[in-house]
Amino acid sequence: MDKLYSLTAGQMKDLLDKREVTAVEITKSVIENIERTDKEIQAYITYNFDQALQQAAGADEKRAKGEQLGELAGIPVALKDNMCTKNLRTTAGSKILGNFVPPYNATVVEKLLADGAVIIGKTTCDEFAMGSSGENSAFQVARNPWDTTRVPGGSSSGSAATVAASQVPLALGSDTGGSIRQPACLTGIVGMKPTYGAVSRYGLIAYGSSLDQIGPMARTVDDTAMLFKAICGRDKMDATSKDYTYTPYGDSVKGMKLGLPKEYFGEGISAEVKEKIYAAVETLKEQGAEIVEVSLPSTDYALSAYYIIACAEASSNLGRFDGVKYGFTGSDRSSLENLYVSSRSEGFGEEVQRRILLGTYVLSSGFYDAYYKKAKMLQKVIRKEFEDALKLCDAIITPLNPTTAFKIGEKSDDPVAMWAGDICTVTLNIAGLPGINVPCGFDSNNMPVGFQVLGRKFSESTLLTIAKCYENTVGGFAVKEF
Amino acid sequence: MNSNYEIVVGLEVHAELSTETKIFCGCKNEFGAEVNTNVCPVCMGLPGTLPVLNEQVVEYAIKMGHAMNCTINGTTKHDRKNYFYPDLPKSYQISQFDIPLCENGYLDVLVGDEVKRIGVTRIHIEEDAGKLIHDDSLGGSLADYNRCGVPLIEIVSEPDIRSADEAKAYLDTIHTTLLYLGISDAKMQEGSVRCDVNVSVRPVGSTEFGTRVEMKNVNSFSAAHRAINYEAARQIKVLENGGEIVQETRRWDDVKGVNVLLRSKEDAQDYRYFPDPDLLTFTVSDEKIAEIKASIPELPVAKTMRYMSEHGLSRADSELLALNKNTAAFFEAVVATGKCEPKSVSNWILGDIYKVLNERKCEITDLALTPANLAEMISLIEKKTISNAAGKTVLEIILNEDKDPNEIVKEKGLAQVSDTGALNAIVEKVLANNEKAVADFKNGKTNVVGFLVGQCMKESRGKGNPAMLKDMVVAAIEKM
Amino acid sequence: MEIDIMRLAKLAKLSIPEDKVEEFRSKMESIIQMVENLPDDLDTTGSLVDPDDTMELRKDEVQPSFPRNEMLRNAPYTAAGCILIPKVVD
Repeated sequence: MDKLYSLTAGQMKDLLDKREVTAVEITKSVIENIERTDKEIQAYITYNFDQALQQAAGADEKRAKGEQLGELAGIPVALKDNMCTKNLRTTAGSKILGNFVPPYNATVVEKLLADGAVIIGKTTCDEFAMGSSGENSAFQVARNPWDTTRVPGGSSSGSAATVAASQVPLALGSDTGGSIRQPACLTGIVGMKPTYGAVSRYGLIAYGSSLDQIGPMARTVDDTAMLFKAICGRDKMDATSKDYTYTPYGDSVKGMKLGLPKEYFGEGISAEVKEKIYAAVETLKEQGAEIVEVSLPSTDYALSAYYIIACAEASSNLGRFDGVKYGFTGSDRSSLENLYVSSRSEGFGEEVQRRILLGTYVLSSGFYDAYYKKAKMLQKVIRKEFEDALKLCDAIITPLNPTTAFKIGEKSDDPVAMWAGDICTVTLNIAGLPGINVPCGFDSNNMPVGFQVLGRKFSESTLLTIAKCYENTVGGFAVKEF
Repeated sequence: MNSNYEIVVGLEVHAELSTETKIFCGCKNEFGAEVNTNVCPVCMGLPGTLPVLNEQVVEYAIKMGHAMNCTINGTTKHDRKNYFYPDLPKSYQISQFDIPLCENGYLDVLVGDEVKRIGVTRIHIEEDAGKLIHDDSLGGSLADYNRCGVPLIEIVSEPDIRSADEAKAYLDTIHTTLLYLGISDAKMQEGSVRCDVNVSVRPVGSTEFGTRVEMKNVNSFSAAHRAINYEAARQIKVLENGGEIVQETRRWDDVKGVNVLLRSKEDAQDYRYFPDPDLLTFTVSDEKIAEIKASIPELPVAKTMRYMSEHGLSRADSELLALNKNTAAFFEAVVATGKCEPKSVSNWILGDIYKVLNERKCEITDLALTPANLAEMISLIEKKTISNAAGKTVLEIILNEDKDPNEIVKEKGLAQVSDTGALNAIVEKVLANNEKAVADFKNGKTNVVGFLVGQCMKESRGKGNPAMLKDMVVAAIEKM
Repeated sequence: MEIDIMRLAKLAKLSIPEDKVEEFRSKMESIIQMVENLPDDLDTTGSLVDPDDTMELRKDEVQPSFPRNEMLRNAPYTAAGCILIPKVVD
C-alpha cells in the first residue's frame, strides 16, 4: 500500500484490525519517509528505528496470536526528547544531556509500550523546553512543514513538525506555558494540554514542575483523543497526578455556552488571526453553541506570574546538571567549584542560563516576597477568575498565538518580544486547566491559524467535543503534503 | 570557666528515622550496605524523577513531636533548600521551611536532681544527603549515594541551654526518647544522630543574647560537651581581651579538641527556599494525630520522676532503670505482681542482672528470665524462705530457663532453716569452736558477730536464716 | 534598577564571559521589568499551603533498587563503585 506513513492513527488501526497491513509494514513506510524528509524538517534528535521495528514485530506477533492488544498496538508515535526512555538517549535538547542514556522509562513511555505503540524516535525541542520557536535547541532547529524558512513554534517543535509533515500520525509534547498548543497552532495540527495532574510527569525532564504537563499532538481530533486516552490517569510515582478516568466525547455543541474573554482579543493579536477566530466562533454558533462574553481581568499579569514561577522552579530543577553524575562534564576539573561552573556554563545555552538567572533572582533573599510569593498569590487570583468565568459557560475560546509562524531568526535576539508571544497560552498553565489548539484556516502567507478552547479541570472530553464538531463542520483540517 | 559569664546554647539535632524505606522512594533505608547499591533514579535525583512521601516518616516525626510536647501542624508542605554539593544529587534538599510538621514544644530533662525545661522551636522532616569518601590515591573524593533520601527529623531547640551539662542532658534525653519511641536506631557511631551547636556567651544578669557561633561536625554527645566548653571559653577570652564575637560557622575537631573557622557570615548561603512543586500540601487528620499521641509510651524522664516518688528509689537508680525501655518495662512488670518491694527489684535488676546483660551484651528481653519468676524469687527472700545467697543460686537458673523458683528451692534444698532447735545446735557448735571471737565480743568488739553469723551460715550450708542466727548468737554469748 | 548579575551567577554556578556581562545585564533588566508587571494590592501574607489540593502518601514498602552499573553508567568518572569528583574539603 502506498504512503502508509501518511495515514492517521485511526486509519492505521482500521487496516491493522482488518489485517490488511502489518505494523512492520507501517513502521517501514514511516522510517523510509522520515529518511527521505527529515533532512529538511529536522524533527528528530534521535531515531529509534531498530527498536521500533522490533516493537512493530512484537505487536504483529501478538495480533497473529489473537492476544489482547492495546488501542495503539503497532501505531508509530514520536516522543519529545524531554521524556526519559530507557536505554535510548534523552537530551532535553541540551548539550548538557547530549550523551545521557536514562536507566528508566517515563510513565507515559511505559504506558505506550504496554499499549503496543511503536516508538519511532525522540523529537527536536527547545533546550529544556524553554522556548517558543524551537530555536533554542542545542542540536538543530526543526522546520515548519508549511514553510521551512519559518519556525514550527516551540518548545515541542519536532513533535509538531513531524506530525504536521505526516512523518508520524502521533506525537507527545509537553506544555509548560504553551509548548504543545503553540507549535500545534503554528503547524496547523491539533495539540492538547491536559489538566495539570491528568497525565503523569514521572520521567518528564522538569522545566517548571507545577506547570509542566505532557499531552497529545495529532492531525485529527480522534487521533488526539486516542493518544490522550492511552497516557492519562493517576501514577503512584507522581504525587501531583490525579485519579482521572477518560470519558468519551461527542461531536455536537448544541446548547453549549462558549465564553469569549475580551481580554484575549486586544491589540497584541494580529487582525488576520482575530478574523479567523471570529469566523470559527461563528461556525460554532451556527452549530448551536451560545456565545457569551466573559471576563478574565488578571490576564495582563499572567505573563509575569508565569515567567516568575516557571523560572524559579527551573533554576532549582536544573541545579542537578552539575557535570558530576551524568551528562556533559566541564573542561575545568581543577576544583569542585570550577567543575560546576565550567559544566554549567559550557553545557547550558544562553536562554536556559537567562532563565536560571531570573529564577535565582526571584527566589533570592530579599526578593522572594516581591516576586515569587506574589506570583503564587496571583496564581490563586487567576484560578479563581477562570473558575468564575467557567461557571458562566462550558468552555472558553481565545486566540492561541498572537501571530502565525515567523521566520527563523526573526525574534531570536529579543527575549522580551519572544516571551510576550506566550500571552494567550500561559494562563492555562497558571490555572492548571486543559486547553486545545484547533486549526482554523490560513493567513495571507498561507500559514496556519488556530484557536484555543479551554475548559474546567478534567473537562477534556468537552474540549474534544467542541474541536470535533468544528473539524466535522469544516470538513477536516488541511494536511501538508511533504 | 569565668563565672562572670553565662553560656547560652541552642542545639539542632538531626536524627535518622528507622523506616523500612527512604523518605521519597522505595529503596531500603539501611546502614552499611555496599556503596551505591541502595539507589534508584529517584534518590539519585536523575532528570525526570519525582519524590513520593513515605507516610511512616510523617507518623514517626509526629511521635517525636508529641514526645516533645509540640503543636502538630496537620496541614503542611515541603520546601526545597537549594545549594550545590556533590553529596546532594538534586542540588536541593527537600526539607520544610515555614511550616514545620511540629513546633512550639519543650523537653524536660534532669540536670543533677533538678528538672530543666528546654524549649523546642520546631521539628521538621527532610532527606539526608549521601556520603563523600576522601581518597588521596585517586586525587579526588568518592560519592556514595546510599544515604541519599534516608529520612531525617531535625529538632531545633530554643536557646534555653545554659551549660555543657544541660546540653548533654538534653541530648541524652533525646537519644533515649528516640529509642523509646522506636523511631530511630539513634546510633551515634553510625551517624544516625548528629548535632549542630550554637553557642554564645553574655555577662551574668544580661537579658540580651550575645552573638552566636555555629559549630558543625559535632559527632557525639560527649563531643558536644567538649565543644561547648571550648567555644564558650574561646568567646569569653575574646571578650575579656576587649574583642568582639563575629557571627560565623566553625568546625569542631574532636581529636585536637579545638574548632576552626569554616565560613564567615558574609559567605552565608542563600538557600532560596520555596515550596517543592513536586509535592503537594499534605494533611494529617486530627483523629490520626490524636491516635499517634495515644500510642506514645511514658517517657524516660517521666518514668524516672515516678520511680522516685512512687517507689522511693534514688534518682540514679530510677534513671538507670528508665533509661532502657525494655528494662523499665521489666521492672514495672515485676513490681506489678505486688509480690515484692520495688527497692529489692531495682537492686536485683541493677546489680546481678545488669552484670549479666553487660557480659552477654544483650537486652533484658533476650533472657529467659520472666517478671513472674523474678518476683517469686525475690518474694521468697523477703518471706525469708531462702537466703540472699540462695536467691543468687535461683537467679542463675531462672536467667536461662523459665522455671518456678519454688520448684528450684525444693529440688536444690535451698529453703532456709528457721527451726530454732536445729539452729541452736549450730550456734553452740560455732561458739565452741571460736573461743577467741567470743572473748573479743565480750571485750566490746561487737562487730565480730558478723564473722560468727557467717560461720553459722557456712555450717548450715547457706540454709540458715541469717537474721535469726544473729539474734541467737548474741543471746547465747550474753548468756555465757 | 541595578541587578547584581555576578552574585546571581555565583549562586547559580554560572560564569558569564566578561564581554557578555553587559548584554546579559541589559537583557535581564528588561526581562525583570517585564515580570514586575504585578498588581500592587496583592496580599502576600498568607502561607503557600493549599488544603484543597493535597497528595496521597506512600506506604513504607521496599521496592527493588537499581543495579549500580546502570545508575553509574552516565557518570563521567567513576572509581570503586562510586562517582569520582574533584577533592572536597569540608
